[in-house]
Amino acid sequence: MYRYIFNIVLIVGLFFSLAVFVSGMGNWRLPDNNQGYAPKQPIGYSHRLHAGELQIDCRFCHTGATQSQHAGIPSTDVCMKCHRHVTASFNTMSEFRRLEDEIKKAESNQAGGAEGTDETEESAGEPAVDLDELKKQLAVMEIPSPELKKLYDSLKLKDSKDPIVESASSSIPWVRVHNLPDYVYFDHRAHVNAGVSCQKCHGPVESMERVRQFETLSMGWCVNCHRDATKNGINGQHVHASTDCSACHY
Amino acid sequence: MFSLSRRRFLEAAGFAVTMAAAQGCRREQPENALPYVVAPEGITPGKSQSYATTCSGCPAGCGVLASVRDGRPLKMEGLPEHPLSRGGLCAVGQALPLSLYDSHRLKNPLKEGEKTDWETADQEIAKSLDQIREKKGSVRLLTSTVTSPTLQQSIDAFLETFDDGRQITLDAMSSSSILAAHELTHGIHLLPHYDFSKAEVIVSFGADFLGTWISPVEFTAAWSSRRVPTPDHPSMSYHAQLEGRMSLTGGNADHRIRLAPDEYGATLVHLKKQLARKTGTGIATEELPTSPLPNDELDDLVSRLWAARGASLVVCDSQDVSVQTQVNAINELLGNYGKTVDLAQPSFQRQGDDRALIELMEDLKAGKISALFVAGTDLTHSFPNRKVLESAIEKIDLVVSLAEREDDFASLAHWVCPDHHSLESWLDAEPVAGLINLYQPLVRPLGDTRSILESLASWSGQKETAYNLLRKNWQQNIFPRAKDKPASFRTFWDQTLHDGFTEATSEEVAGEFDPAGITPPNSESRSEYCLELYQKIAFPDARHAHNPWLQELPDPTSKVTWDNYVCVSTTMAKTSGIGTGDVVQIASSDGAVQLELPANVQPGQHDRVISVALAYGVKGTERFAKIGPQWLEARPTVAQGEQVGKNAAPFIAVRNGVVDYLRSDVQITKTGSRRQLATTQQHHSLEVPKHVAPHGAEMREPIQETTLAEFSDDPSSGKPHLHHHEGGELWPDDHKPANHEWGMVIDLNACTGCSSCLIACQSENNVPVAGKDEVQRQREMHWIRIDRYFTGEGDDVDVTHQPMMCQHCDNAPCETVCPVLATVHSEEGLNEQAYNRCVGTRYCANNCPYKVRRFNWFDYPQPGELETLVLNPDVTVRSRGVMEKCSMCVQRINEGKIEAQRLGQSVLDGQIQTACQQSCPSQAITFGDLQNSESEVSVAMKSPRRYGVLEEFNFRPSVSYLRMVRNRESDATGSGGDHHTQGGDHE
Repeated sequence: MYRYIFNIVLIVGLFFSLAVFVSGMGNWRLPDNNQGYAPKQPIGYSHRLHAGELQIDCRFCHTGATQSQHAGIPSTDVCMKCHRHVTASFNTMSEFRRLEDEIKKAESNQAGGAEGTDETEESAGEPAVDLDELKKQLAVMEIPSPELKKLYDSLKLKDSKDPIVESASSSIPWVRVHNLPDYVYFDHRAHVNAGVSCQKCHGPVESMERVRQFETLSMGWCVNCHRDATKNGINGQHVHASTDCSACHY
Repeated sequence: MFSLSRRRFLEAAGFAVTMAAAQGCRREQPENALPYVVAPEGITPGKSQSYATTCSGCPAGCGVLASVRDGRPLKMEGLPEHPLSRGGLCAVGQALPLSLYDSHRLKNPLKEGEKTDWETADQEIAKSLDQIREKKGSVRLLTSTVTSPTLQQSIDAFLETFDDGRQITLDAMSSSSILAAHELTHGIHLLPHYDFSKAEVIVSFGADFLGTWISPVEFTAAWSSRRVPTPDHPSMSYHAQLEGRMSLTGGNADHRIRLAPDEYGATLVHLKKQLARKTGTGIATEELPTSPLPNDELDDLVSRLWAARGASLVVCDSQDVSVQTQVNAINELLGNYGKTVDLAQPSFQRQGDDRALIELMEDLKAGKISALFVAGTDLTHSFPNRKVLESAIEKIDLVVSLAEREDDFASLAHWVCPDHHSLESWLDAEPVAGLINLYQPLVRPLGDTRSILESLASWSGQKETAYNLLRKNWQQNIFPRAKDKPASFRTFWDQTLHDGFTEATSEEVAGEFDPAGITPPNSESRSEYCLELYQKIAFPDARHAHNPWLQELPDPTSKVTWDNYVCVSTTMAKTSGIGTGDVVQIASSDGAVQLELPANVQPGQHDRVISVALAYGVKGTERFAKIGPQWLEARPTVAQGEQVGKNAAPFIAVRNGVVDYLRSDVQITKTGSRRQLATTQQHHSLEVPKHVAPHGAEMREPIQETTLAEFSDDPSSGKPHLHHHEGGELWPDDHKPANHEWGMVIDLNACTGCSSCLIACQSENNVPVAGKDEVQRQREMHWIRIDRYFTGEGDDVDVTHQPMMCQHCDNAPCETVCPVLATVHSEEGLNEQAYNRCVGTRYCANNCPYKVRRFNWFDYPQPGELETLVLNPDVTVRSRGVMEKCSMCVQRINEGKIEAQRLGQSVLDGQIQTACQQSCPSQAITFGDLQNSESEVSVAMKSPRRYGVLEEFNFRPSVSYLRMVRNRESDATGSGGDHHTQGGDHE
């Protein structure tokens, strides 16, 4: 009897475990392999827009890539170089300007009517503009855009976008996507200056709305590339990419 | 009922474990990356910046290049351009970052031991001071030597506000008698600036100038500049050391004479008399005591000194003023003043004035003092009489300490107003007249501490930042002294801040020699014992006792860590039956002072001399009880209720107006108990133990030496005639060197054994502190050890120091035995260790002939979260179960190569420096690319003095040594004889 009960318990357990296991299969990977990792970031920054559409060079923001072992995440003042002026998307801004103009026009029209000047021939036939409706439309427009508002909030900026007061502001807690173990030393400088493109390791970031880890970044993957580079060179240049342990581990 | 068979249970358990493990295959918690809000100009995350500043370890004022990484000062390096230290830095200076990140440093001011804020402290101290001003009370400010012109100005301004305000200077080890003697013989109270680089003959009476005396790094750099003979110029300085205890300097001397410190006076009188006879000048000759030195020794010294007059130097560390006047007379007779002894540009490195100190003690006893301020010195370790102090303090209205930690004195004070760490503050220093250094802050203060400049200004009634005070003083007083007349103060300031120091004009001091000032030393009858208190290499003063790196630094001579001890000679050990580790009691004859400490039998010690190190038994060192791994059999580093070592300061005597570190009225008795010293001497020995040596095995000679006379005849003299066949490559097709082949050469003639490299390596490579118990188990983790060899038997021994680290053998025995290829050879000639591959078989360490591999028996704990900030982010922190060893600073090699590639250059010789090489005060270590035939290391490899340790076994080490040359006529003391590493087996 007990054997029967035990088998039932075991089968239920097996089924349950398998269900959990299979549901997690999509994320199956060897320990430390984070390929495909694309965490949600505190601000929905789009590399597709900035690097792809607007074609901003990677090194404009990641200045450390040629100078230091870390490419670095840009300091917030780098964002503010543009976003002091650009507070929403182009479409939103043009819509905003259009509404503003219309309201201005309508207001001046109303003011003109009140003063009792002669109406021009063109405007005589047009239907009266609903000023309240326009104002309502303007009010619901999100300027600055909700994502940029997070940026301004972190800097405790007022609407005037005054210069940053450092003591009041705080860093944006970006989530690290590419994170090598502590016993590996990868140097951006060495690779970028040797002519390795950013995309070689990071993938087509310019097409990613949210950045994800494109490659496995495993040791085998590194070593294969090092062997290949030593054999075939990079961009036709002869290079010596060491495969010594101490090239990366020390 | 429900029951379960064993088999079923195991099935279920196995299933559960597998599933749990499979579920575990997911990524770790997300990690945030916080960028700057506004990036500071010129700072790139991940890149180190170096700033020139000054070392605060002692008042010697060595220049420092501190590297700061991502806002953290991490590594102290020597400032190559600095005129005094010439790029060297001692172990104490190297260890400064750890004392910055010390969680026991005070983080706020204290009132009667309770936390308070600066406003309250300032108000109440100001109120007390006003009352004292009204009643015209006496105020005393006790400091260690102040070399800072700005601080001195602030102190003077503060003390001027009182009717009776005086500053009293107390050094950890006073040299007051030298200053006092110059007042007698030259009419000026000052410390001359000694130039060892100009001295062809050096005679030192007990002065440990390579270890602890006045300015050891400067003196080592100067001394070693004349210690390297080449085949073309086979000449070097001659250095004789007459001393009682075995000091680091004595070990490096060409000729060492054992002489008890109470015999210096009589010897010097004889020396002076003979020299006076040679000059024919009639310097009054006093009654001659019998010479403690044999006539031939004395004649030899006299003739050598006389031959090198004007280029010789006699120094002495005696605190007897009359003895020092004899030294002055001798240097005068030899014409050394103005040449090797500079009075015109004197040194300010030790200003302790013992007469003033003794007056202060009298005043304290009499209850005349209303307020006492103490800064930069821990009274209980350099003040002769603590009891006087304790009872006197009760009568003082206001006692303020500016200590960084709650030391012995701070716990007695009413107020503790903690000063910044030197890496957090602005300051300046003028160690030698005409050379002014700057200190600059490299990190924001970690606690709510305040610069002493600001504290004094605030109590003088003016609120001003240290930076403004410093700049103002520089504009007013230093800028007019600038040597090369800069265009504006701004350019002058910016240039000095960049360089770390500036050379300025100084008042010419002129002192005429007056023979009347010479006083005859009182020739006391010899006592049975002579107790000598000394400073250890690692601790110039008690402040550094909180630094575990320095506590675990093996003393270069005794190799003992984590303790002070009583050094006795081998003869005394034999006659009184004392062995190393026996606890002995030293007591003054009147029984007033007693001290129980373990004995250390020290070859080379004078028979009557007992020596004990100061600056131990420091309050707060109880904290080290639990340093190192805590496991089942762990024994605490410090026993319950005890401190590291014992305070020997109560033995300091006050005699004839000076603080004296010698005592003749002592008795030594064996207590019968034993206490094991944590010595590293027997560890990692290169010797083949007799029971495993094959029959007829040749003696391994790790140390090779020769004499200058033989070297002049044959530059390769000293080479042993061992059977040595040229072996082939083990892997002729493998190990083809690529673009570089790194190698190192260590000059044993320059190396003094000061152990600066050891701490440099520890700081650079995240070497953990193991604790006393682990050291006793031979598990210290240092990547470099300084092997100390005694040559000869008995007490007249020669000492040789040999830094020993991974030799990066081309035919490495460790590599062939690793089953997992965790230790392999790189294409640049390095023997590399991949920590993550290592499974901890320890075969490699067993097969290593040099015994330089260290195994991580534990995850060595960091003492606190703050302390982890000292870790170098460029080096992996090793975990339990892996082997580690010297990597030849491969992180620096990689950085150098990558940076050169970035700039489109090739790696230049000297661009990459290992940590040990960088700060070696005597520049004994050369590192570079052996493929570049012009590189410094390749040139050194071609030296006829070069040899490889154990190279007869065809290991092909990448590290070579240059044979030691002693300036001798012939084999005086058993050179080439029996080298043995043992120090304590003479019982």
